[in-house]
Amino acid sequence: MGKADKISGFFWLLFSLFVSYESYRLGLGSVHQPGPGFFFFWTGIAVAMLSVVVILRSFGTQAPEKEKEAPTGKRTATKVIFVLVALFLYALTMEWLGFLIVTLLLFIFLLGVIEKKKWWFAILVSLAVTVLAYLLFEVGLQSQLPKGFLDFLRF
Amino acid sequence: MIDILHNVVYGFGVALQPINLMYCFFGVLIGTLVGVLPGLGPAAAIALLLPTTFKVAPVSATIMLAGIYYGAMYGGSTTSILVNIPGEAASVVTCLDGYKMARKGRAGPALGIAAFGSFIAGTFAVIALTFVGPFLSNVALAFGPPEYFALMIVGITVLTYLSSGSMIKALMMAGVGLILSGVGMDTIAGKYRFTFNIQSLLDGVGVVPVAMGLFGISEVLLNLETEIRRDILATKVKNLFPSLKDWALSAWAIVRGSILGFFLGIIPGGGAVVASFASYAIEKKVSKHPEEFGEGAIQGVAGPEAANNSAAGGSFIPLLTLGIPANPVMAILLGALMIHGLQPGPLLMQNAPDLFWGVIISMYIGNAMLLVLNLPLIPLWVKVLKVPYFLLYPLILLFCLIGSYSLDNSVADVIIMLIFGILGFLMKKFRYDGAPIILALVLGQKLETSLRRSLIMSHGDFSIFISRPISLAFLIIAVLLLIIPIITQRKKLSALPEE
Repeated sequence: MGKADKISGFFWLLFSLFVSYESYRLGLGSVHQPGPGFFFFWTGIAVAMLSVVVILRSFGTQAPEKEKEAPTGKRTATKVIFVLVALFLYALTMEWLGFLIVTLLLFIFLLGVIEKKKWWFAILVSLAVTVLAYLLFEVGLQSQLPKGFLDFLRF
Repeated sequence: MIDILHNVVYGFGVALQPINLMYCFFGVLIGTLVGVLPGLGPAAAIALLLPTTFKVAPVSATIMLAGIYYGAMYGGSTTSILVNIPGEAASVVTCLDGYKMARKGRAGPALGIAAFGSFIAGTFAVIALTFVGPFLSNVALAFGPPEYFALMIVGITVLTYLSSGSMIKALMMAGVGLILSGVGMDTIAGKYRFTFNIQSLLDGVGVVPVAMGLFGISEVLLNLETEIRRDILATKVKNLFPSLKDWALSAWAIVRGSILGFFLGIIPGGGAVVASFASYAIEKKVSKHPEEFGEGAIQGVAGPEAANNSAAGGSFIPLLTLGIPANPVMAILLGALMIHGLQPGPLLMQNAPDLFWGVIISMYIGNAMLLVLNLPLIPLWVKVLKVPYFLLYPLILLFCLIGSYSLDNSVADVIIMLIFGILGFLMKKFRYDGAPIILALVLGQKLETSLRRSLIMSHGDFSIFISRPISLAFLIIAVLLLIIPIITQRKKLSALPEE
């Protein structure tokens, strides 16, 4: 896993150096009275050293040629990104639009767009799921999900 | 002895209350379901269902969540045997011989021995737990900060030793988990740490959103790529009772599996997955016909299935007696207990005996329920498997979204979960194991405060860790685990990331 390890090793190296720097700023205290940054400074250094090992190792291994295949195909990568975007939008709008609307939209999107099911099927199933989820979580488990601007309807 | 009997009776009194019976039933039912469904494991399930337990009494909640864990050990074997797809990581080994048995028309006995073996092992573990638990609680009272520090180091080290892939990477992930645990308020100095003026980080990074992201969301994202093809064995599953010959062959496997599993469960960092692999390896070694393994040897099903159930039971011990999670699933359960305002630790037995004994006894009852659930209801579970994935994964995502939100009615937790979902996905691609992050995240706070307290106690003298016998012992174990791979260059047991 030559190239991948170089990338990931480098990422973690930067991350841990950043952490150590921040910990240092928090204060290391002394060995008698360790400060808030003490433990994390050294943990950061340790992780940094380990990531250097990972990077160095990736030079050593002669990865077999078949490892050259990309970790993920282009088509599925787009699928993953779309789903992630949908999930983030769900999270960011759930308090504004309310649980019922975002859930409905999410399912219609996932079933209709991502999974390419027929529209009537997607809408039907989405409605069913939204209602059932509402009954289960809001009514049954009393979870207090966000109502959004539909609040005035006072479910 | 009388003491224990008294406590057992007390525990029955708690566990047999109708509401606790109900929650126990729900827990094992959901656990079996989660075990049957590939892609969703007990860690994610407990994390998902945790928010739903908030309105419920801590005892009932713990009984249910515990039931999910050992219940999943039962359910996982069903899919392994029938479809050659492990419902969850601890059942991977069961695929090897279980599926072969099914192909030879012996699905019934395979399922039967898995269920019975699981029941025997599970009950054994609970009995052992009943005796070992209080004993360990008392020993633990002698633990001071250096001992806790050393023990947690062992836990992290064992987990990284046993995780899939490179140990170096696993150690790195443990380090990342420790760093994450520092976010929030530092209780000793009273300062905020790593919060960068972000409001939602003031309380730290919760283990539940991280777990949901790393195990739930990332799993779904990964499965978007590959359709899990499920060729469900069309043969009618008849005759679930293993023959006398089957019993004769499996009896010792079950015994060995139970004992091995229990000890591997107790050791922090061990757990059901490791236990199942270890049991398979041992059964193959002691068998008079090792060539049968991989072709349908019933010991290859009985042993590992017993081991994983026994390990699940055993792993409750460090949590209930020391307050230290033995594996990532227990880590989430620890988080659950703390959210419910409980203080897991040596004093748990004294301060909350109803929880301590009620949960332990509920496990007897739960195991019995599971035996009933798993045999007659197998056709039902097979139907569940037929739910198409395109419907299943949106549901899992929805559960994750709702679950993470309802922890604190906060969108921030959902975002954290999603971020860790992306991270988990990338980590799997780049071959990093996620389990150490969870364990380290939960242990981190305690680990750091133990270190600081130890140093304050000893006035900056590091030898305090070596001069105290218990902590010295733990540290030696940890060092050995770190050095052995370098010396022997052995391949690590490939346990799957999810527990």
